[in-house]
Amino acid sequence: MKISLTVNGEKRALDVKPETRLLDLIRDDLGLTGTKEGCGKGECGACTVIMNNKVVASCLVLAAQADGAEIKTIEGLGGKDKLHPLQQAFIEKGAVQCGFCIPGMIMSSKKLLDENINPSEEDIKRGLSGNICRCTGYVKIVDAVKEAAHKIKSGGEENV
Amino acid sequence: MSKKYVGKDVLKVDAQDKVTGEAQYPSDLKFEDYLHVKIKRATYPHAILRDLDVSKAKQVEGVVDILTEKDYPDLNKFGLIIKDQPVLIKVGEKMRFMGDALAIIIAETEEAALKARDKIEVEVEKLEVMSNPQRALEKDAPTIHNDIGDLCTNYIDPDVGKQNILMDHHLEKGDVDKGFEEADFIVENEYQTQHIDQLPIQNEAGYALYDESNDVIKIWAASQWLHDTQADVAQAMNLPKEKVRIIQTAIGGAFGKKEDVSVHLHLALAARHTKRPVKLVYTREESMISQSKRHPLTIKAKTGVTNDGYLTAWEVKVIGDAGAYASSSPAVVHKGMYHCTGPYNVQNVRGDSYAVYTNNTYGGAMRGFGTTQMAFAYESQIDIIAHKLDMDPAQFRYQNAYDIGSTTPNGQKLGKSVNLKRTIESATDLAQWEGEISE
Repeated sequence: MKISLTVNGEKRALDVKPETRLLDLIRDDLGLTGTKEGCGKGECGACTVIMNNKVVASCLVLAAQADGAEIKTIEGLGGKDKLHPLQQAFIEKGAVQCGFCIPGMIMSSKKLLDENINPSEEDIKRGLSGNICRCTGYVKIVDAVKEAAHKIKSGGEENV
Repeated sequence: MSKKYVGKDVLKVDAQDKVTGEAQYPSDLKFEDYLHVKIKRATYPHAILRDLDVSKAKQVEGVVDILTEKDYPDLNKFGLIIKDQPVLIKVGEKMRFMGDALAIIIAETEEAALKARDKIEVEVEKLEVMSNPQRALEKDAPTIHNDIGDLCTNYIDPDVGKQNILMDHHLEKGDVDKGFEEADFIVENEYQTQHIDQLPIQNEAGYALYDESNDVIKIWAASQWLHDTQADVAQAMNLPKEKVRIIQTAIGGAFGKKEDVSVHLHLALAARHTKRPVKLVYTREESMISQSKRHPLTIKAKTGVTNDGYLTAWEVKVIGDAGAYASSSPAVVHKGMYHCTGPYNVQNVRGDSYAVYTNNTYGGAMRGFGTTQMAFAYESQIDIIAHKLDMDPAQFRYQNAYDIGSTTPNGQKLGKSVNLKRTIESATDLAQWEGEISE
């Protein structure tokens, strides 16, 4: 079936199978492999992307359901030439260990900071409650989100 | 000590690629025109494979081939310490747990591979499934591995059946019987821990490619023991090591789980057979069923204590559920036993540990390598004893704590960097602990 959607600001038209998941579309059809699959069951959060301004587990969304949607993945946030403040803060605070959960963590953090630029520690924990890190680096991840909020506030909109 | 890095924040070299999504984990690699590999696994945890019919499965559109033991009868078994795990189960031989591989399905699409997998016909003769090592230790328990050499010592309890014991260890320090005589009272308890999956977020996955020009198989997979895996894959396929190259990708967590061979051998066979790139990615279920776990340990602890709160003797018996294959069991289970007293001074220690084959998924390495399970036992034992003594558990720990000059159960004399007492002092301070701590 034919669908069209906007991914990281770019309009895309694709022919997908009924069983194709949004995750497969992103990774296999578009080659955006920054979005990861950890469990395929919506438990781990590694496949988190932003769809129509909501965080979703892309393994639980059928590609067909994303017809007409606006999708943002980790690749749409910033590249090595211009890192997003969240990406910069995750590096600076040592929040990255194996890294497999990080794209999902950052997308959930992005959504959190879009809505609340002054999050309390509890707000951050709640905002990241759908993302599992098995290296158990949560303390530094929370520090990184705090630091990113600080960077965005002091750097103004141009940084985001 | 160099102050260049200690005490300073150092940026990790690979963090930038990981925050942008550019880092390539095994399933992120891109190969042209690759084939999908799926594995048909055991249908029963303990059974003789009587028939394996892949003819209908091969008819599925998109299937390139299906490999079984018949195609590769000369493969050797593999394993980290003891080579006891077959690459593919032979008709007439046994499957020993649900992760055993029966067939390698190679197809143009993942859908075709999965459809074909469902069409493979398997006939088995079911055997008693031993999911509990206590049962596997009984004298009338069926033998899981008939062809494994006897690794048992003469310390083994004569009432125990040896046929499923992978390996045992015996530890003796000081005079335990005298130690118990000197005790004012003795505390005995049994502790049981459970299987735990390391659960790295990245499942086992990889690609392989056969280079015809130099007869080399290249495998891209996240592995913890790169060179051991290379050597193990090569010996299993009767190849010299230089004919197998393992190329490390970014690794999405492992915590011990990726010490064992996983996708590597099946990918190697499929790549050489088809002469095309091949990809195998485990599902979470497959990872849980077929790769290692933290061992469940059954720990019987007996501790002799004086009324003023000193430990005179400590005896343990440890039974480790090794599961169907040896993996790291020979090391993990006895390492757990050697840590039986934790960081507490005991002059007289005795221990026995058995790593026992069962039909469960095999135990392997996971953070702590046996010591985590033992910590549950000795710290519980310490708390129970402190309660019986009506003594502050922090004080009880403190007055028995390792210091410079202490000796461990295996006789190692600690010469430096023994900071337990300082740790207890800091911890009780930070916790605003009510009791007073003194020598």
